[in-house]
This record gives sequence, C-alpha cells and structure tokens, in this order.
Amino acid sequence: MEVLLEFFKTTAVANMSWGNVVMLLIGTIFINLAIRRHYEPLLLLPIGFGCIVGNLPPIAGMAIGVYDEGSVLYYIYFGVSQGIFPPLIFLGIGAMTDFSTMLSNPRLVLLGAAAQIGIFLTLIGGLYLGFSPSEAGAIGIIGGADGPTAIFLSAKLAPHLLGAIAISAYSYMALVPVIQPPVMKLLTSRRERLIRMKPPRQVSQREKIIFPIAAFLICALIAPGAITLLGMLFFGNLLKESGVTERLAESARHAMIDIVTILLGFSVGASTQAQTFLTPQSMLIFGLGALSFAVATAGGVMAAKLMNLFVKDKINPLVGAAGVSAVPDSARVVQMIGQDEDPHNHLLMHAMAPNVAGVIGSAVGAGILWSVLVG
Amino acid sequence: MQEFAFSYQNIIDGQGFSLAFAGMTIVFVALIAVSLLITLLPRILRVVNRYYPELDGLAGPTSRGQGEGAPGADDEAMAASAAALHAHRQARR
Repeated sequence: MEVLLEFFKTTAVANMSWGNVVMLLIGTIFINLAIRRHYEPLLLLPIGFGCIVGNLPPIAGMAIGVYDEGSVLYYIYFGVSQGIFPPLIFLGIGAMTDFSTMLSNPRLVLLGAAAQIGIFLTLIGGLYLGFSPSEAGAIGIIGGADGPTAIFLSAKLAPHLLGAIAISAYSYMALVPVIQPPVMKLLTSRRERLIRMKPPRQVSQREKIIFPIAAFLICALIAPGAITLLGMLFFGNLLKESGVTERLAESARHAMIDIVTILLGFSVGASTQAQTFLTPQSMLIFGLGALSFAVATAGGVMAAKLMNLFVKDKINPLVGAAGVSAVPDSARVVQMIGQDEDPHNHLLMHAMAPNVAGVIGSAVGAGILWSVLVG
Repeated sequence: MQEFAFSYQNIIDGQGFSLAFAGMTIVFVALIAVSLLITLLPRILRVVNRYYPELDGLAGPTSRGQGEGAPGADDEAMAASAAALHAHRQARR
C-alpha cells in the first residue's frame, strides 16, 4: 500500500495545479478551433496538443519538458529558442510565394509598409505598460502578424516571453477573420468597398528571377538584421522562379516546411507550462497583441485611403488590410469583405501584393528592432 | 514576478517615440526602394532584352516545372522523339 501511495505522489494527477488544468483546457480549445472552425489548423492543432503535453506536471528528477536540459522536447525546442525554425519556414514561404501581383502593381507595396505601424505602436504600448525596451520590441512584433518573425525576434530579445508571444501571434493570426472585418468596415464607406481595381499586368520570368536577388540586396543593405529571414525568403523564391531547381523548391514548400511547422508548433505549445505561462505579463501581451492586429489593419486601410487622394486609378481601401502579412488569410478576408458588397469584385489577387509586401515589411521591422534593442 | 508601473515616463525613458518613428521610416525607405526597383525593372529589362533576349527555355512557367525529371522535360523529350520519328519515316518514303 505504501508503495502505491508513493507512486501516486509521482503521478501527474497528484501534482496537477489549477494552472495546468486551465492550460489543458486552452490546448483543447485550440484543437477544437482547428478542427471545427478550421482556424489555422496546421498551427493550432500542433500548438494545442503541445499545450496538453507541456502541462502534464513533470516528475521530479525526470527530464521530460522543454525546459529540462537533455529531454527530447528540449532538443526540439532548441530550434525555437535559438531561432532556427523561423528562417526555415521563411524558406518554404519563399518557395510558395508568387510575387507576380506585387511586381505588377508596385504602389501596393506601400500598404505593406503602412501596416507595420502596428509593430511600432505596440512597442510604445509595451513600454507604457512597464516592459523593458527589448521586451516591448519583442511584443511589438506581434503587430507584424507573422508567427515565424515573432518567434525569431522574441528568441533574440526576450526569450522568457517567447511562449506568450508565439501563442499570441499565432492565435491572432488564426483570428484574422474575426479581428479584421470590423476595423475594415468601420474605416471604409460602402462606395469605397465597391471600388474595382485594374487587373494586374503580365510579369516576365526574367523579372521574377531578378526580383528576389535585387530586393534582398536592397532590404539587407538597409536593415542587416533582416538578413536571416529575408535571405531565406528570397532564396526560397529564387528556387521557385529560377525554373531549374524545381525539386528543391518542391521540398522547401512541402516536406520541409511541414516538418518544421510540426516541430515548431508542437514545441511552442509544450513551452506554455502554466508555471511560466500563466502570468500577468502574458495577459498584457495578449491584450497588446489584439490591439496591434487592429492597429496594423487600420494602418493599411488608412494608407490606401490616403493614396487615393493622389492617384488616378483608385485603390480599394480594403486591400490595405492585407498589409498585415498573415499570408494568405488577411488577403482572403479582403476578398470576403469585398464580395459582401459586390460578388463580382475579385480583390484577392490585388490583396496578395500588400500581403507579401507585409511579410517583407515585418521582417525588416524585426531586423531594425533586433539591431537597435539587442544587448 | 515583474511588477508593472504604467507610466508615460516609461515611453520617454525607453526612447519609444524616436524608436517607433525611426523604425517606421526605415521600413518605408526599404519598401519604397523595393517599389522603385519593381517600377524600374521592366524598363531596364526592355533595354536588356534588346541585347540579350529572354530565351524560351531559360525558365518557363514554374507551375509546369522545367527541372530535372519535371513534366516539362518529358514534353521536350516527347517532341524530340516525334520529330525524329517523322524524319525517319520521311527518309524511308
């Protein structure tokens, strides 16, 4: 009997805290959202299950969790804590991305820049709430609406907040169809939402090949901190567009990105142990994260409205909302809201331009924050 | 546990406004430069194409794929085989 009692003391049931129970519930909600609502299932499902795995209380003396040196999860999490997985995901994204719509309408690139205001206003908000500058910078990047970038920067600037920032970034990316539409509708009139844009021009293969090399050089020379992320993004795109490395591009955009997504999602989920995750900081980070998505959306929409004062071919301001990266969900939201007003207005291809520009913009933003705030 | 003191002074102490302003400016400069590149690229390529025309086989549409073992390679091999067969039959007549 004594042996049984001793064994019971080592079980997860005996060591379970209320915080663990809350986190198990959150993990279950994520899985439910992924399966029933199809909210970013490729991310929320691994994160949700990782959350469950990470919140079974550890047994003293056994290396199991992501923070226990020598455990299997520790080595998987190494890819997150050292910022290895995000650039690999960027390689896959690059190999998937078609920059044609952006190349055919360069003025839409500016909307991708305007939406990055979410990053910098959230940084100010983080400072106001009492976070240190490097913590505020890491939190601010949630406004870039780019999960890998958020993980990369928080691993560099505030590793202790990585779990909360990653969960916040991915949760709000999944909630883009919920957060963005009210802001978009609030800031635009029906007449503006009905604007039809000119179809994009044909882009030559030579342009598509030169673009990733030249754009990388420009961005890296201006913001060297973005070299890792943008280097992989544009390298992946060159693999795709060169036409001679189709096998490599295929691997990058399918097998490799899938493997990395599984490892990243699962280990980020497992890093959300209640003891380190359920803190007042995390709650503030979630609040700032929601605000940053709304501000970034507003920034893109308002920039489009501002540009319409000066250009002859009007831009549908809804397209500006896609400047918040979150590829391709925010572009899909633009298409959805546009078609609510006019079912024959196809904004998706136009929205993809600020959408991919937003990815570049958020990586540049992360590079700037890393260079200025590190150390 | 970290204690929070909400204060405007934190922003001043952390140089929040100057950091945000500088950050947004640099993001805009980078993306305006990219935008200019995209605007100028077709014009530059128009000149380049006069001297170095774009080859059809250089890099076809990537959706079809032109790499080793890709469907495009099969099409080319099929076309070459058909041409050879046609030439052989013509020679026998």
